[in-house]
Amino acid sequence: MEIKKGVAVSPGISIAKALIIDSEEYRIPRREIKASERTTEIQRVRNAFKGAIGELTKLEAAHVKTEGSKIKDIFAVHMRFLHDRSLRKRITDLVHSESVTAEYAVSTILREIASHFSKAKDAYISERAADIYDIERRLLIQLLDRKREDVEHLTEEVTIIARELSPIQTAGFDRKFVKGIASDAGGRTSHAAIVARSLGIPAVVALEDLTESVSGTDTVIVDGNRGIVIVNPDDQTIQQYQEYSKEFAELEHKLDAIREKPAVTRDGVVVTLLGNIEFHDEAEAVLQKGGEGIGLYRTEYLYLNRQTEPTEEEHYQAYAETVSVLQDRPVVIRTLDLGADKYTQRKRFAPEPNPFLGLRSIRFCLQNLMMFKTQLRAILRASVLGDVKIMFPLITNLQESMQVKMILRDVMDDLDEESIAFNRDIQIGIMIETPSSALTAYSLARDVNFFSIGTNDLTQYTLAVDRGNELVSTLYSSADPAVLRLIRTVIQDAHKAQIDISVCGEMASEPEYVMLLLGMGIRTLSLTAPMIPEIKQIIRSVTVEDCNNVARKVLGMNSERQISNYLRAAARKILPEAF
Amino acid sequence: MQAEQDSLEKVVCETEVEIKNADGLHMRPAMQFVDIANQFKSDITVSNNETEVDGKSIMQMSMLAATCGTKLKIKAEGSDAQKVISALRELVEEKLFGEPAP
Amino acid sequence: MKFADFVCFEATVPELQTSDRDGVIEEMVSSLDKAGKLGKGECKEIARAVIKREKEASTGMGKGVAVPHVKCKLVKDVIAAIGLSSAGIDFSALDKQPVYSVILLISPVDEPDKHLQAMENIFRHLQHEKFRKFLRQCRSAEHVEDLLREADENSSL
Repeated sequence: MEIKKGVAVSPGISIAKALIIDSEEYRIPRREIKASERTTEIQRVRNAFKGAIGELTKLEAAHVKTEGSKIKDIFAVHMRFLHDRSLRKRITDLVHSESVTAEYAVSTILREIASHFSKAKDAYISERAADIYDIERRLLIQLLDRKREDVEHLTEEVTIIARELSPIQTAGFDRKFVKGIASDAGGRTSHAAIVARSLGIPAVVALEDLTESVSGTDTVIVDGNRGIVIVNPDDQTIQQYQEYSKEFAELEHKLDAIREKPAVTRDGVVVTLLGNIEFHDEAEAVLQKGGEGIGLYRTEYLYLNRQTEPTEEEHYQAYAETVSVLQDRPVVIRTLDLGADKYTQRKRFAPEPNPFLGLRSIRFCLQNLMMFKTQLRAILRASVLGDVKIMFPLITNLQESMQVKMILRDVMDDLDEESIAFNRDIQIGIMIETPSSALTAYSLARDVNFFSIGTNDLTQYTLAVDRGNELVSTLYSSADPAVLRLIRTVIQDAHKAQIDISVCGEMASEPEYVMLLLGMGIRTLSLTAPMIPEIKQIIRSVTVEDCNNVARKVLGMNSERQISNYLRAAARKILPEAF
Repeated sequence: MQAEQDSLEKVVCETEVEIKNADGLHMRPAMQFVDIANQFKSDITVSNNETEVDGKSIMQMSMLAATCGTKLKIKAEGSDAQKVISALRELVEEKLFGEPAP
Repeated sequence: MKFADFVCFEATVPELQTSDRDGVIEEMVSSLDKAGKLGKGECKEIARAVIKREKEASTGMGKGVAVPHVKCKLVKDVIAAIGLSSAGIDFSALDKQPVYSVILLISPVDEPDKHLQAMENIFRHLQHEKFRKFLRQCRSAEHVEDLLREADENSSL
């Protein structure tokens, strides 16, 4: 039994056999053959190409109607490779010169090519290695007769294990058989995470070396609530998890019952619970779980996985759909929050030595005003459809907030000029997610209508910890006294300036922080939809007086450990099931 | 007469092109390149000063990993060499593979 | 877009005579007019529009810089003038500090993208402290022109 910790990106529990779908992990041993067998092996290589072309043709036909041009392009590229004589020749030459098996030759040559790509300095070209692994997989499937194991032909329940999921691998996912997803790489916005959430499959990513610990016959538990994957669990663990899974379902059911009830503390203080969403089709889930609006609508997905920048119309359609679901409830749209390290369509960037401290988010937008304008126009146009607010990420100083407002105003002028309707008094907010903005919140507050504290980045930047780096991720904690002092400052400054303040980071969805945040003066939380009922349950079980006491105690403590333990104990008393 | 025909068939044309689309010669542009190259009879080689590859092979073309700003020498040898050069130049430098410039 | 593409160097005011916001705007608009960049009799109207916009929201973006601007049917192309004040001007800037460098930008109505390209360029350079300092230190129109042309060549300035 092996327990791996990663990042939970899609909630739920699954227990199923592993299906490893990364060709990189097919370990093909070098096996030498007799000189007389070479002709047979070379014929096998040819047949594998022929078979792979046949399979791909079928797949292409099946996807003609359902998929976008991106998938079609990928298929077309693979097809060209399979038809490439010089590729085939390199493989058969190797069989001939070294007397090795077809499998070994295919695998060796394609990995040589893939590693050539991964070494390219240009990020976009180096990512193409994934295509080569896909082609290797197609050929090996032919040679190893692994068709049964292919995701496209599933017949039993499985947990998908991959290094990183490519669009082509997820294209054929069947909700009926794919019970869980776990990958070595990835984050909240990775392809695996997005697919998992949209299909409602429990998923954990960023597991580093999971694929090295799993083989095809292992049973795997994916705990998408806690970000844990267990390989080959013992009977006792399986039993525990079956119970946990049942309890989780029951708890969810029970919590769903409080959906209609207000989020009010026992002493009558009203708290507003909003949802964080990524896609417009998640908006429905927020309402279902009892959310009263959208406190954070991330818009990055509009830019990802595509060749061209999204058009104003595409932005507008997505926003309009979301707003139509929410009707008059608030929808806070956050402008593009991507790093230049991520792929963007407009420009190719030399890799930055320090992307987290580099040209990202609002900084990137302010240097690409044409692109920024497109999004601002769409948000403004959508502002007449409901209660739309606009929020700017990663503001670190007054100049930036001034600049974005200046540009927003210029864009308003353009709309005026074209007689396009928009809400001139649209509420403008900024994310407080760096120590600099937290420490200057008093002056930023005069310039905007609301703050939203992004606790994930605030914690990372304050503690100088990359939570995705497992060598230091244990240092990451929002319960660190440094982080909490900054949060307190921001809340106080917002109150003094009488502007709205909310928390939209992960902290808002973690039960142990609810009392503390209420005690520090927060009355609006924005969190992932599945967690809304549980957080509401806690709010309904406490008094603000209790919360104030918790906050007072915690702010007097000086170690993260002491604080975490205290908060966990306090929360356990309130809602034991959640821990 | 015979000599002239021979020389006609062995026309050699060369040109230098610069990759001008933002994302460089990644998979899709490489695919477009070889698709056009394969429409001609001429032998086509492409080089980036370090390596020379077969312009009709997607594997070899994509392995050039040519980023935006890279200069490539295209050489065509055969009766339709002139046409090869103008078709490929158009694709790379004018149409930018149908992709955005940086 | 580079500074040289939209800044009218002849209209630079190396030492602004007035010290109040509205006066400065009028002074700079009339300097653009004298340089022949604005049509006849349009001077007052443009200044009024800039001041009106400034009253709605200050463009004093902190660190001693203001970028008053307006879109105007009367110009055909984006045009800017630089004005400097050693005494400092009250622009009701966000940081409540006086403004020493003013970039006045007049953009045509029908080409919003050009306006944004000019703004993008201004933002990019203003974020460098060195640029802000050098601009403030300029003592003549020639100094300003030299600095802006150098900035056009060197993006880290």
